[in-house]
Order: sequence, then structure tokens, then C-alpha cells
Amino acid sequence: MADLRFAGVRKDYGEVRALRGLDLEVADGEFLVLVGPSGCGKSTALRTAAGLEEVTEGSIHIGGRDVTDVKPAYRNVSMVFQSYALFPHLSVEENIGFGLRARGVKPGRARDKVLAAAELVGCEQLLERKPFQLSGGERQRVALARALVREPDVHLLDEPLSNLDAQLRVYMRAELKRLHQNVGTTMVYVTHDQIEALTLGDRVAVLNEGVLQQLGPPDAVYRRPANRFVARFIGSPAMNLFPAERMDGSLHAGPFVFEARPNLPERVEVGVRPEHVRVDEGDQGAAAEVQVVEMAGNETYLHLKASDSPLVARVGADVRPPVGSTVRVSARPADAYLFDAETGETLS
Amino acid sequence: MKSRNWRQLPAALIAAIFLLPLYFMVSGSLRKAGLPPPRTLELLPSPLAWGNYERAFELVDIPRYTLNSLLVVAFAVPLTLLTASWAGFAMARLSRRPAGALIALSLIALMIPLTALLVPRFTIFKELGLINTYVPLIAPAIMGTSPFYVLLFYWSFKRIPPELFEAARLEGLGPLATWWRVAMPLVRPVTVAVAVLCFAFTWSNFLDPLIYLFDQEKFTVPLGLRALATLDRTNFPLLLAGSVAATAPVVVAFIFVQRYFLQEFRGVGWLGR
Repeated sequence: MADLRFAGVRKDYGEVRALRGLDLEVADGEFLVLVGPSGCGKSTALRTAAGLEEVTEGSIHIGGRDVTDVKPAYRNVSMVFQSYALFPHLSVEENIGFGLRARGVKPGRARDKVLAAAELVGCEQLLERKPFQLSGGERQRVALARALVREPDVHLLDEPLSNLDAQLRVYMRAELKRLHQNVGTTMVYVTHDQIEALTLGDRVAVLNEGVLQQLGPPDAVYRRPANRFVARFIGSPAMNLFPAERMDGSLHAGPFVFEARPNLPERVEVGVRPEHVRVDEGDQGAAAEVQVVEMAGNETYLHLKASDSPLVARVGADVRPPVGSTVRVSARPADAYLFDAETGETLS
Repeated sequence: MKSRNWRQLPAALIAAIFLLPLYFMVSGSLRKAGLPPPRTLELLPSPLAWGNYERAFELVDIPRYTLNSLLVVAFAVPLTLLTASWAGFAMARLSRRPAGALIALSLIALMIPLTALLVPRFTIFKELGLINTYVPLIAPAIMGTSPFYVLLFYWSFKRIPPELFEAARLEGLGPLATWWRVAMPLVRPVTVAVAVLCFAFTWSNFLDPLIYLFDQEKFTVPLGLRALATLDRTNFPLLLAGSVAATAPVVVAFIFVQRYFLQEFRGVGWLGR
């Protein structure tokens, strides 16, 4: 086990800058999730840690050792790929033990380790099969076993659940969490799925355009987003955002009116999460027209239009106003997020 | 099942058309010695003149020529597989621009007629003192025999998801071990195809042995057949008996390896997805 540190890592692909001076520390035994939209540099960061991509500038340290110029095989890291990258011509047992054979581990000892890793992820009954004879979930387990068997310092996981169906993904998410609790190895997990990020990570690192936007526990990232990007990216449906106008000491943001705090910058934006939009059929709050009603099982998403501003409200499953009807919307001042419209930074 | 058999009928007909010359070669070799080729369709001559084979083996040393050809093939085919697959693997692992340049170069090389290289190659081998040896027959294998074989390997390796090579790299394999343990097992049908093509090309190569080999005991099978034609120019059954003896090893080799042609790693497991 070891910690992993990115120190000012920059990665350019020709004219394209994938990482812009990434500074990030993953503690020994931590489960860190790198999350961000497609093309934000999260997979590049993982690949530089694995040594599959050379860094343009900066350095990478594993267990205090500078591994920037060390070949992938000598970094003592494992990687689980999105496509699992199982060798199709080898059996499950040979796939799991591939790295051990490559490193000259004796067959008897290698078999013991393979069995132990297979038991850990629950694929010991599949050892004789070839990858094409496995389901998506089984392949996922084999890929995990192959990563575990060498007992590396750091596990790198590149969107390993994205090829699974929704039900299996939820199950495997819990399995991964359990696995991390059992082995306690440092894990860096890349995903674009914010639910995976929030449920799996000890800490979450949000990336955008190669820049680390925020690093913190899932709860903090959700409740105290560092900027507009994090606020919009984390949370589903996304946070409602309105440009605010100041009138008579108040902030008018879409259908909402809040008391203006002192020392606010010239241009301000106000964000309200869908679950914080109160929907009332009485006469409290601003009028909003119901445009779309989405049933999502245990909750309902209302797509509304109020004061010419679209907004989404997340309400209980039993709240289903008819499309075209008018409801009243309001929000508590404590639930409003203020952002500097110029920089996008959160205003504390 | 019935409709499947019907669908195979056109393929069987086309195969039959291609097999006809082979059939007439065998049936012609069994006609009585000295007879001209039949003017009408003759499915099987009567009586069967097996003596033509005996006579052909008496006139020219077919076993020796066969051994000589086997010797050349034994070096040329494995060497071709080695160098063509190395070159194809290296090209497949290169980034797009240098790989594109090498593909263009291979295609240009493919368009150069072999006859255009005869004189310069002869001069080179003569200067090196390698005339009347098997080296000039085997030497092209060092370059993969044909750019076509290199391109075949390149396209096959390119089909393999790059994550497999990256996974092998992380597990501690170098380029050579990755080529041997990951890439080659995944392109086995192509390897067999290149081996058979190279075998057939080298076995039937007439021009190079004609230019580079002078001693009769070093002759390969195609040169032996030519010697047979020189000895008894109009005895077609005899010539065809020699042709059957020359063709048989290629057909046997193909029958032996044909099952590998059709073997492919099945299902989604192929791409690991």
C-alpha cells in the first residue's frame, strides 16, 4: 500500500492540453474518485499514474518514490480498464495469473494467489472458462481479480462499471466498496457518473478541462460546491441557475427573491437545487407553469417555467400536478447558492 | 438445415470450377504414356497408367528436388512469419503518422514488379558470392517475402484493442513478449494464411531458382519439372505425373492446416468488451 501524488502534472497532446498542472494527493488506503465530463482529463490523469502516458511537465510519486520516468511494470500499480481488457485466448485462471507468470512466480504459488484473488471477488467457479463465455459482471470480477492478485500499491480503475446494465452496476458498486474495505489498498476510480462518485469515494476530485475544480468528501462537494461548474455537475437533476438582479436591497433570481447580502460583486448568479424548490398549490411564492411531469418511481421531476425562467423541481412521488396547470414555487434563503457571475466562484 | 445446404451450393459449384484443372492434371497423368491430351471430356482414363509416375521419377530426381524445395521452404516460411509479423506488430503499435508512412511505403513496394528487381538482385548476390546457393531464395524472407504479408499482419494486429497491449505492459511484458504471448495467439488464422501463401509462393517459385541455381543437384521442384519437359517435351501424361508430384505437398500442407483458417475467437470476448 502507498499514497499517490500528482505534482503539477501537465499533459499535452499536440495542441490539446489535457491536464493543466494537476496537484492531487491520494492518501494511503484511500478510495478517491476522479469525476468530470467527457474530455475533462480524468482518464489521462489515471493513465499518467499508470505510466501508459508520459507527462509533459510535473511529476508523479507513489509511496514517496518519484515514478515519473519509471516504466508501468515497475510502478507496482494495477489497472482495471473500461473494456476489462481480458486476454480472449486465455482462460480466466490464466488471465488472473498473467502478471504473476510474467514476473516469474512459481506455478504452485501463483495458483494459490490466483485462487485467493478469485475467491475474494467471487469468480472461483469460472477459472476454466474463456472470457467470451462470461457475462459482463463476471468479466468485471475477473478483471478485478487480475488487478488484485499482484497485491499492487495502487489500484487504478477506469470507468469499470460503465459497460454494465443499471441493476448490475448498483450491485457491483456495493461489491467494489466491500472489496476496498477488505483489501484496504489505495484506489483511484475514474467515472463520469456522479452517483458512482458520491457513493464510492472517501473523497471526490472534480475535474474540468484539465483543472481540478474541487477535492473533498462527497458530502462537502455536494453541499458546498467550490464553484458554478461543480454545483451544476454534481447533483441530478442539475442545480437551477438564475442571473440575479439587485432591486431595493433584494436579489431577484428567476422566480425567487432573496435578501441581498453586503459586499456582493457586481454580477451575481443564484443556484437552487431541484430538491430545494418548494412547490405549493396555494398562494405562497411565484407562479410557475407546469410544462413536463417526469415520474421517477419514488419521486417526481417537475419541469416548470416561472418569470420566463425554466427550472426543475424534485418533489415527492405523490405530487403530480397536471401539465399546463399553475403552481407556486419558493425556496429558503439558506438553500440558495450565490456565485460570482464573472469567475463562477462560490460566494461564501 | 435444408436451406443451409442449398445456400452452400453456389460455393460448391465455384469450388468445383477451381478444382477442375487439378482433376484433369491427375486424370491426365494416368493416361497412357505418349498420348496427347484428350479432345473430349475424359473423366478417368482406361487403363490407368500408374507407370507414368515411375517413369517421371526415373527421368528426374524428383525426391531430391522435393527435399531441396522443402529445405528452402523450411527456412523461408518461418523466417517470413517472424519478420512479417514483427514488422506488422511494430507498425500497429506506432502512432498514426509514421504508421501511415510505412503503409504507403509497403503499398509502393507492392507495386514494383519482381522482374524489375532481377538484375540488381542478381548483381548483389553475385558480388556477395552467393550465386548457386539457396541464400538468394531464402533472403526475401528476411524482409517478410512480400509487403502484402506485412500489411496482412498489420491489419490483424490493428484489430486487437490497444487496452490488451496496455494491460500486458502493466503486467510486466516487454514488446517482444507482448508480441509472442498476446498478439500472435490472437491472429492465428492470419498466421496460418500467411504461412500457406508463403509456402505456395516459395514452393512454386520458378524464376529465382532458374536465375540463381546452376548445379542440377541443387534444383528445386519447379526446375525439376522444367528438366522433365526438356527430356520428353511431348509426353503430356509424364509431364502431368511430374506436376502431380510437385503439387501434392502443397495440397497436403493446405489440407493439414485448413481448419485453422476458419478458427476465430468467437463472440464478444474477442474484443474483451
